[in-house]
Amino acid sequence: MDEKMSIMIVDDEMIVRESLYHWFKKYGHVVETASSGHEALEKLEKLPFEVLFVDIKMPVMNGIELLGKVKEEYPDTIVIIITAYGSIDTAVKAMKTGASDYLLKPFEPDQLSLMLEKIASQRRLASEYQYMKGQLEAITRFDNIIGESPSMQAMFDLIPEIAQSDSSVLITGETGTGKELVAKAIHARSPRSNGPFVAINCGAIPDTLLESELFGHQKGAFTGAVHARKGFLEVVTGGTLFLDEIGEISPKMQIDLLRVLEDKKVTRIGDRQPIDVDFRLICATRRDLEKDAAAGTFREDFFYRINVIAFHVAPLRKRKGDIPLLVDHFLNKYSHETTKQVDHVRRDAMELLKRYDWPGNVRELENAIERAVVLSRSRTLGIDDFSFLRPSRTQLSGPRSLQEMEKDHIEQTLEECDWNVTGAAKILGINRVTLHKMIKRYNLQRPQEQVPGMP
Amino acid sequence: MVPFGEVPEVALKVIAAHVLGYFNLDAGILPRLKSPAYAFDVNRHQYNAATILKDLGSMPSHDYVKVIGLLDVDLFVPILTHVFGEAKLGGKCAVISLHRLKTDSDGSKASESLILERAAKVALHELGHLFDLVHCMDRRCLMHFSGGLQELDETPLYFCRYCSKSLEDKLHRHGIDV
Repeated sequence: MDEKMSIMIVDDEMIVRESLYHWFKKYGHVVETASSGHEALEKLEKLPFEVLFVDIKMPVMNGIELLGKVKEEYPDTIVIIITAYGSIDTAVKAMKTGASDYLLKPFEPDQLSLMLEKIASQRRLASEYQYMKGQLEAITRFDNIIGESPSMQAMFDLIPEIAQSDSSVLITGETGTGKELVAKAIHARSPRSNGPFVAINCGAIPDTLLESELFGHQKGAFTGAVHARKGFLEVVTGGTLFLDEIGEISPKMQIDLLRVLEDKKVTRIGDRQPIDVDFRLICATRRDLEKDAAAGTFREDFFYRINVIAFHVAPLRKRKGDIPLLVDHFLNKYSHETTKQVDHVRRDAMELLKRYDWPGNVRELENAIERAVVLSRSRTLGIDDFSFLRPSRTQLSGPRSLQEMEKDHIEQTLEECDWNVTGAAKILGINRVTLHKMIKRYNLQRPQEQVPGMP
Repeated sequence: MVPFGEVPEVALKVIAAHVLGYFNLDAGILPRLKSPAYAFDVNRHQYNAATILKDLGSMPSHDYVKVIGLLDVDLFVPILTHVFGEAKLGGKCAVISLHRLKTDSDGSKASESLILERAAKVALHELGHLFDLVHCMDRRCLMHFSGGLQELDETPLYFCRYCSKSLEDKLHRHGIDV
């Protein structure tokens, strides 16, 4: 047989376990046995099995119960129920619970052989499905940015359009939302993609050093300037300059950069000769620069210069539908990097991840998955593996009235649905008109966000 | 080889000749044993092959590398309705039975030469398992699984190229050159 499978036989009768064990071994399969449902679940936690042959009649946890648990935790596992004559009704119930097939004991040798061939063809279909899923995933991924929520799809549509123009872009969004990835995606799709992409975190570099980094200096311009050095504004010619945390730069630096953007010339520190530069500027910030500009803490002229195209990256709590996709991606990434066989997140754990607010956004989610994978002792991540997550806003507050809870829940659901009332009403299990009335009653309002596009 | 009950001498000799021809192994014939009444299952009216195998394993094997028990009773293993023969992968002993080989695919009595040919096929197949060969997907190979007589008759009396090579390696590991 050219397709080797990993099979587990679950039966309380040793004689059946042994018979099937030796039978499957003769096909060259990897075979394991378990004498109870609990033992089977323990073994499944440690190692993946493609096919389970489960006896329907077992003490403590019967075959149907085990089937239910396996299908809930490991839906891809093929389960074949073994039953005796006279328990056809139970076999039908098993099929409804998700069993792939059933065998009536004792079976014809041919029957078992055909069953194996059938399973092999099911596996082929499953791997084809996985391949197709991978292809589909490529549609929901964009240069390592992952998401299928409406806000992400809108972003994927917008990136190629923005990439074609040469105007400055201001990317706003909370920390950890992947602003740099968006900047890289814009650069990669722009006519400047062959040029360099230089990223500088303005918040991490002291102002004086940032000046020298950006503008470069002549030999002897200041103490320690033993060699002439090109600044990043020069180096980046032909490419894209990404200035992260632009809200942190000093007013003087804002003026200097504004001049560069207007004149397309740069003068090294200690030099008088301006040098022509040609780059596209993409800035990012987690602050509300419009407000800062109105308050006078950020130069208004500089703000308008860098904010030609505004682009907002939604925080993770507003696109919770993307969490399973991201979890899968990071799980895959870290199980490969750490060579630990962790390939599954239990439903209750996934619910926790979806409930959590993720103040640190995708970066925090990535760290959480990495930590859970590294510390996990089984192939499945459970709720205990994420006990380190800080309790969310709503969990922190003390006892509250039912009305407050209702208000919070409606608001949260609306946020998750990007304020799509029909979608939120569907999740809440009420009709649209009722939801509209509740929005009015609780005076809920959609937060004002910057919408991608021209300001 | 160990004959049980009334199995004919000629069947033992034919199997021994095939074992010599295909495996280059001398097959001796040990003293005849009684029909294994201890393995009879009153509910199924069949003989449990696993029980006979266990019993065979506990007997002295007189320095033989592998032991094949030949019977003329209906064999079963607990999960299956019947088996023509039974052996554990890489094990020491195998059992095969002439019982189900005596009828033709259409239910009529098979000729003696056909019964012997079938017995040789089952014996070589089970011996293959004893030398670690697994079932083969190729229908034109002795290691292909045959659940019924028709399939067994369609199976040729030779191993496919892959199984031949694999068998050669396994025998070599046992210090036997084919």
